[in-house]
Amino acid sequence: MKFQVLVALVKMGLKKLIRQPTNLFMNLLFPATLTIMFILAFANPEMGMSINSVVPGLIIYAVIFLIMTIAQSFSSERQDGLLKRLKTTPMTSAEFMGSQIITNMLISIIQVVVVFSLAYFLGFKPDSGVEGVLLALPITAIFALSSVGLGLITATVAKTPEVATGISFVFILPQMFFGTFVPMSSTTQQIATFIPSFYLLDALKMIFDGNWMNPNFLLDLAVISIFSILVVIIGMILFEKYGSA
Amino acid sequence: MTSDIKSVLEGLNRKELVEIANRKKISIPNNWSRSLIVELLVLNVTIDNIQQIEKKPSKPKITSEGICAIVIKDLVKKFEDVTAVDNLSLEIMEGELFSLLGPNGAGKTTTINILNGIMKPTKGTATIAGFDVTKSLVEIKEIIGLCPQEAAVFKFLNARENIELFGNLHSLSKKEIEERTDMFLELLGLAEASERKAGGFSGGMLRKLNLIIALISNPKIAFLDEPTVGMDARARRKTWEFIGSLKAENKTIVLTTHYIEEAETLSDRVGIIDYGKLVELGTPKELMERHEAKNLEEVFLSITGRRIMEGI
Repeated sequence: MKFQVLVALVKMGLKKLIRQPTNLFMNLLFPATLTIMFILAFANPEMGMSINSVVPGLIIYAVIFLIMTIAQSFSSERQDGLLKRLKTTPMTSAEFMGSQIITNMLISIIQVVVVFSLAYFLGFKPDSGVEGVLLALPITAIFALSSVGLGLITATVAKTPEVATGISFVFILPQMFFGTFVPMSSTTQQIATFIPSFYLLDALKMIFDGNWMNPNFLLDLAVISIFSILVVIIGMILFEKYGSA
Repeated sequence: MTSDIKSVLEGLNRKELVEIANRKKISIPNNWSRSLIVELLVLNVTIDNIQQIEKKPSKPKITSEGICAIVIKDLVKKFEDVTAVDNLSLEIMEGELFSLLGPNGAGKTTTINILNGIMKPTKGTATIAGFDVTKSLVEIKEIIGLCPQEAAVFKFLNARENIELFGNLHSLSKKEIEERTDMFLELLGLAEASERKAGGFSGGMLRKLNLIIALISNPKIAFLDEPTVGMDARARRKTWEFIGSLKAENKTIVLTTHYIEEAETLSDRVGIIDYGKLVELGTPKELMERHEAKNLEEVFLSITGRRIMEGI
């Protein structure tokens, strides 16, 4: 892998985040707005939710919406002939996919920082202190791999960015309802054990409670890592084979 | 695995087998048969050793007109029931500006896509600078530049950033990228707009940027697929001058265009393609003489007119 190629592609990906209104809104402004609204509206003991239980869910919200922006971006670049053009350069598939992974992991880290900073100013004081936040960053970044994978799968199936938006909700909605802060019955909790964001939620809660020495934390971490790596590999293979031109 | 290697080796000629053996420092007596060499090599080589030979460029073909940059032989591309390229054979010389003309859907872009490795041919072979387009894509990508039919640029990047990105993908040095970017922006009249986002460009400006990106890596062979579509007459003339100037750098240029005048003005030779077949080939002058026509447009219409008459 050539460092020069990776850096150029990651820089381009980050410029896309800042300069494309959809990306900027969905990846940064939306999580920021949601954080403010949810904390002000729901995070009080009278509503049965504490701020500490809302913040991990908000981080997950931000990361799962990466699925949509990644899928939109790949399908629109394919539609514009950009992927075809990139394929005629000496850049390898590994460099291209590697850059996508690095870019989106970086974006997920920025998202955690945004959500956490806003929540902090609105009264979120995790028992874990700064170490907890620092630990949340790499774990969320690992989970972001699954969003890259699911985004690639969506872009493989969807032929246009509009269709990609719709299909991405197939992956977003279950994670949103079964793996954030939406209250669950015993039945839905059973379903949630099959949803990866449920494990990230559990892990983030343990981190913010300063409870990451708990053996269950390692189990959560293992599920998140295995699922994310598997999904990103499947996504890359499918996209390379059926979706890239 | 061994049977895989054997089947690959059996597909090679004696010279290639001896070359693989030499690379593995095995000497082969002159009187050994091909099958005996295969049997020996099966025990001593890996697929990688064989691929090193397969990826090596064959010697470029030399004809009375010069060295061939591109050799297409019996090329076929089928999409389900449709044959987009039908037994196309063609040789394009080094330093030549070759125009591929044809009505919509004639197979021009499909041919270019195969030569660029975007599509695989159904049948036939094509080599670029001696490299097979199905086996040596890595090597081919180092020496080609593609200006696609659609203005494929990142709209959220400015002109300079777009060019620099592709320069980096070709691993050019920072200095080289800067120098070539400045030169092209100036030559094509985009210097003043270089810091503007491509999303705000007019169709003609996007086309110019599209062309610069194709040439930033200083490719030996450039494929320009309808590079001047959407440009006004003045910009088109300026771009023609620019494309013409590339000939002085001994670049091989394959141009597809709907502007017959463009092909007539710029090309050394023209190939007319219809229903995927090469139906006419020669210099513009030769074609005009052959068809007793006043210009290339008349030649084109006399050959492909039936499509227009049929309303296709």
